[in-house]
Amino acid sequence: MTSGFWHQVRAVAHRDLLRERRRGDVLWVTIPFGALALLLVPLAIGTDAKLLREIGAGMYWVIVMLFGVLVAVGKASRETQPQQDASSLLGLDPAAGYVGRTASSLILLLAFELAVGAVAVGLYDIDLLGVGWLVLTLVVVALGLALLGTLTASIVNSTSAGTALVPLLVAPLSVPLLLGATQAYDGLRYGHTIVSWVLLMAAVVLVVAMIGVLTARPLQES
Amino acid sequence: MKVQTRVRTWPWVAIAFSLVVALALSLVSPRDDVQGELVRIMYLHVPAAWLAYVAFFITFLGSVAYLLTKHLRWDRLAAASAEIGVFFTGLTLVLGMIWGKSTWGIPWTWDARLTLTAIMFFVYLGYLALRRTTDDQVLRASRAAVLGVLGAVQIPLVHFSVVWWRTLHQPPSILRPDGPAIQDPLMMVTLVTGVVAFTVIYASLMVKRIELLHLEEQLAEIERSTERPVAGEAVVVPELGRNP
Amino acid sequence: MTEWGWVAFAYVVGYVSFLLYAGSIAWRSHKLRRAIERAE
Repeated sequence: MTSGFWHQVRAVAHRDLLRERRRGDVLWVTIPFGALALLLVPLAIGTDAKLLREIGAGMYWVIVMLFGVLVAVGKASRETQPQQDASSLLGLDPAAGYVGRTASSLILLLAFELAVGAVAVGLYDIDLLGVGWLVLTLVVVALGLALLGTLTASIVNSTSAGTALVPLLVAPLSVPLLLGATQAYDGLRYGHTIVSWVLLMAAVVLVVAMIGVLTARPLQES
Repeated sequence: MKVQTRVRTWPWVAIAFSLVVALALSLVSPRDDVQGELVRIMYLHVPAAWLAYVAFFITFLGSVAYLLTKHLRWDRLAAASAEIGVFFTGLTLVLGMIWGKSTWGIPWTWDARLTLTAIMFFVYLGYLALRRTTDDQVLRASRAAVLGVLGAVQIPLVHFSVVWWRTLHQPPSILRPDGPAIQDPLMMVTLVTGVVAFTVIYASLMVKRIELLHLEEQLAEIERSTERPVAGEAVVVPELGRNP
Repeated sequence: MTEWGWVAFAYVVGYVSFLLYAGSIAWRSHKLRRAIERAE
């Protein structure tokens, strides 16, 4: 991977983030939707403070898994066929395209996690334990979802099923991330070791990253 | 050529003056017997909540007026008020959480009024998100107006449902998220001054926000009259096997 | 946190966010006026 590769990665990521700045899908739609979901749950199941504190962290991670993937999949990251053709004619390495799109999704997902996390802490009165591990979990989950979501979006790309299919495909594959994140938080609460869960999430990230990079060119040429 | 939209500075002066007066009174007013100094948070929270409801009511009126008259000035009124309303609703919620955490140890109490305010926040956030999706001025105005009316008309139903839900599930504690009954006259004066000050701030912000809308329209008008093809439009899929 | 600490926190949050919002309106107006002057 030459310096040209990383230059392309930066260019792609920059373009995606610029698109988000113009459209504002994440800021104006996905984040509010995630926050609203957090608001609706206690209306349905009860507002006992103790109950909410118990389920708060779990609810938060479920929302991140289900809604966060929309960030990676959003209209902003989809390109029309002529645009893709132009990219490949210009010599854009498909792997660089994948990494670049993943990078922009990662940044947007982190913003999503932080914004919705603030709402969760407020509504459910969640204790913020082990801030260092928490930050690490947020980053690893965001990375995993970004990798999974971007890869799945490329796979689904040319079919007419559209964006609704991608969350369905990503959700079961993101279970290790969900379990890792929730068990890590529980571990922090009850004093268990959480290294194994963090390693599990890291393994997910590595596996998906490898597959994403290796299949980028075959996918584009299909 | 000069900018056509008039730029006024008195709103900023009015805002600065109101902020200073409100702040001074809040700091000078006496402490509460029950809540101590924390009652001063009320002097921000209550006027902000008042503004939130006023702003959304104006959005409703503006939306109705637009649907009846089709004059864009009503759409501008509705849009500006919705944005200011979203800001002050958000502020109300955040201040409410700070007050809740400091007074009761819990940021959110799920009482009817707080929950309703949160729901309203999302309704009008959606209104603003909708406006962002349409570039055409007239189309955007009519879509937003319908949503503005729908949202506002739904609010009483939402309010009723939430209040009913709350009365069935009253928390068995002494939580009184409404805040203390204000008995001290100086505290009442502070609160009322806060409400008046915030209303002045709302009106001033409306003037500037509508001005901003005018400027945006003016620029769009200029850009429309000097339109050039976008460079990227030159990239199309080549069609093979057809006569050029 | 002390009571005054909470009060200060609330007021800082309130006033700073308001100034940012009002400032953004002023800033956007300023930018637009520049853009209009340039375009004409």
